Amino acid sequence: MSVVGAKPAASRAVDAPTLRATATARERETLAFLADLSRTLAVSLDLRKTLSEAVTRVADFMQVEAASLFLLDPESRVLECRICVGPVDITGSRLALGQGVVGRAVAENAAQVVADATTDARVWRAADDDNGFVTRSLVCAPLATADGPIGALEIVNRRDGQPFSDADAELLGIIAAPAALAINNARMAGNLLEQQRLKREFDLARRLQKSMLPKRRRDNFPVIGVNRPAHEISGDFYDHFELADGRVAFLVGDVSGKGLDAALLMVRAASLLRWAGKDGVSPSAWLARANDELCETTQDGRFVCALVGYCDRAATRVHFAGAGFPPVIVRRGGVFTDFPSGGPPLGIMTGLVYEDHEVALDGGTLYAFSDGATDVRDAGGTPIGNEGVRALIARHAESSPHARLRGLLGDLKQLRLVDDTTLLLVETSRAETADVLLDHRIPANAHALRGLRAAIRQALDRLHIEPLLRDRLVLAVDEASANIIRHAYGPERTGEIGLRMLLAGSVLTFELTDTAPRVDPQELRPKPLGECRCGGFGIALIDEVMDSWNIEAAASVHGNRLILRKRLGDPGTDEANEA
Amino acid sequence: MSDSGNSVASENRDGYVLIRLSGEVDLSWSQQVRRAVLDAIANDTAVGVDLSDVSYIDSSGIAALVEGFQNARTRGSRFALVSVSHAVRAVLELARLDRVFLIVDTPDAVIAAA
Repeated sequence: MSVVGAKPAASRAVDAPTLRATATARERETLAFLADLSRTLAVSLDLRKTLSEAVTRVADFMQVEAASLFLLDPESRVLECRICVGPVDITGSRLALGQGVVGRAVAENAAQVVADATTDARVWRAADDDNGFVTRSLVCAPLATADGPIGALEIVNRRDGQPFSDADAELLGIIAAPAALAINNARMAGNLLEQQRLKREFDLARRLQKSMLPKRRRDNFPVIGVNRPAHEISGDFYDHFELADGRVAFLVGDVSGKGLDAALLMVRAASLLRWAGKDGVSPSAWLARANDELCETTQDGRFVCALVGYCDRAATRVHFAGAGFPPVIVRRGGVFTDFPSGGPPLGIMTGLVYEDHEVALDGGTLYAFSDGATDVRDAGGTPIGNEGVRALIARHAESSPHARLRGLLGDLKQLRLVDDTTLLLVETSRAETADVLLDHRIPANAHALRGLRAAIRQALDRLHIEPLLRDRLVLAVDEASANIIRHAYGPERTGEIGLRMLLAGSVLTFELTDTAPRVDPQELRPKPLGECRCGGFGIALIDEVMDSWNIEAAASVHGNRLILRKRLGDPGTDEANEA
Repeated sequence: MSDSGNSVASENRDGYVLIRLSGEVDLSWSQQVRRAVLDAIANDTAVGVDLSDVSYIDSSGIAALVEGFQNARTRGSRFALVSVSHAVRAVLELARLDRVFLIVDTPDAVIAAA
């Protein structure tokens, strides 16, 4: 007798009380076995260990001569025997989906019962060998999951010599369920580990990339850039550095492709381009050198688009050359000019020649941006293109360079950023304008100090300076003012003290002016702190609180100007990178 | 006490003199503070300077306390700062004098702490 396609009868509704009342000894045994099997499978996620033990237990419980477990490779759709118990080892045997009883059980997601294997055409006789093992009868149940079968469990030859029945198929179907569950769990856990490993690698690549971007310069540097990756890691990069002759070199690059490969090429291209431009050759020679070097080592059709150049420190003229890079935009006196940079991308063919360009900035600004900026989509899903970028630049034209780049990037993010985006600008650096936070005058009299302190305290509170630092700053300026009263004016003279408190960037400056006779800076020496002596440590307190101070002659005939400086909490040294 | 809230007052206690300072001790009246401290020490008794009500002190105020401390030591008298306010402690720490002075929490501790 042979029944084909008998579904595992897991759907037969039996509730616990009914089972308790009516269960036969065999059913009780089955339940106990299932519990035992589940425990075996739950011990570890190491399938080789747990499945091997489970299949041995199945063979014993079902009283059969052989049992085997096949798993389906999701990629190749081939079934492979992974576990085998019995006189003949068929581990490693492979079957196509649909081939033999096992292949059919998986293909049809249904148990197969072969009562007489000697006459059944479905049977694949791999286990039969010269040692006399003959497959007489067999049952195979699919390892079913919600996503379809992932393999099959097969048993061969009842030890009592009887053929397998539908009841055996039903039982095997029940036993196969926890095995399928265990395998599925282990695979999901494996996937999770793989994802975690990938994430660690991506994090590493991202940190590596970020470390390659230059730090923000605070010394009136004419070149600044921003970079924002569209995904976790970026194919874009930029850099700037000073040449030995004082010129400022810059480069922007965009590596083809996405993901880890592109990221690693970006790291290499960034180092290579920096190296190739170090000795100040013309931008075209710089690109040619980098191109030849990249061609030697880059495969897989990957390439790098780049723009390199340099300018004088005052950014009056800019020299540049491009390799497959979007046009450079120059904005002078409200008028835009495009400079197509020409030249094919780097890394495709050796011996290429690039073209040098030169532009006089005349107080204007040069903008270079990777195609991520022009590829940004507007509300209708259309790339904004060069025109769109010009409109955004015009919108932020009045802001300071850093604020402008941040504003541009912010606008691009508001639209839809689809690619890594890098913006770089070259512009004559104007000293950051300082905000005047306090402009106060007092008579040079000790009784006026209290009012001066209150005014400073209020101004610092408006800046949200934390109390400890605020009180120290108040103390230092008070000490300086007291010294002016006591030593510069002395008891014989009267006059005024002017205090201006300025904030430029993150540097707070206190400017104290007087009309007293000139003070010799050499005479102002701090007494060491911590020494138990009476007086004279006002200057030491100022030293302790301020980053620096100096005294100079005032612009008028008499008088001194004392300047005290303090850098406030550093808001980070990076440029506006958003990696 | 003046309009400014600045004041210095000396008080004879059992076995010591307690000088209470309040307000903002700065160049405008630190000489008065210095005088009060030196006068108290001249009696050869223990002196405590209560600083709990002092909201500001500059280097001239600190100098007056240092001078008192040195004079008392020369005479073999006890000199302590009492209930030092947060503002004063911050300046003492900045000047690295917080470990030079004997600092006590209550007036009675001026003589209790031997």
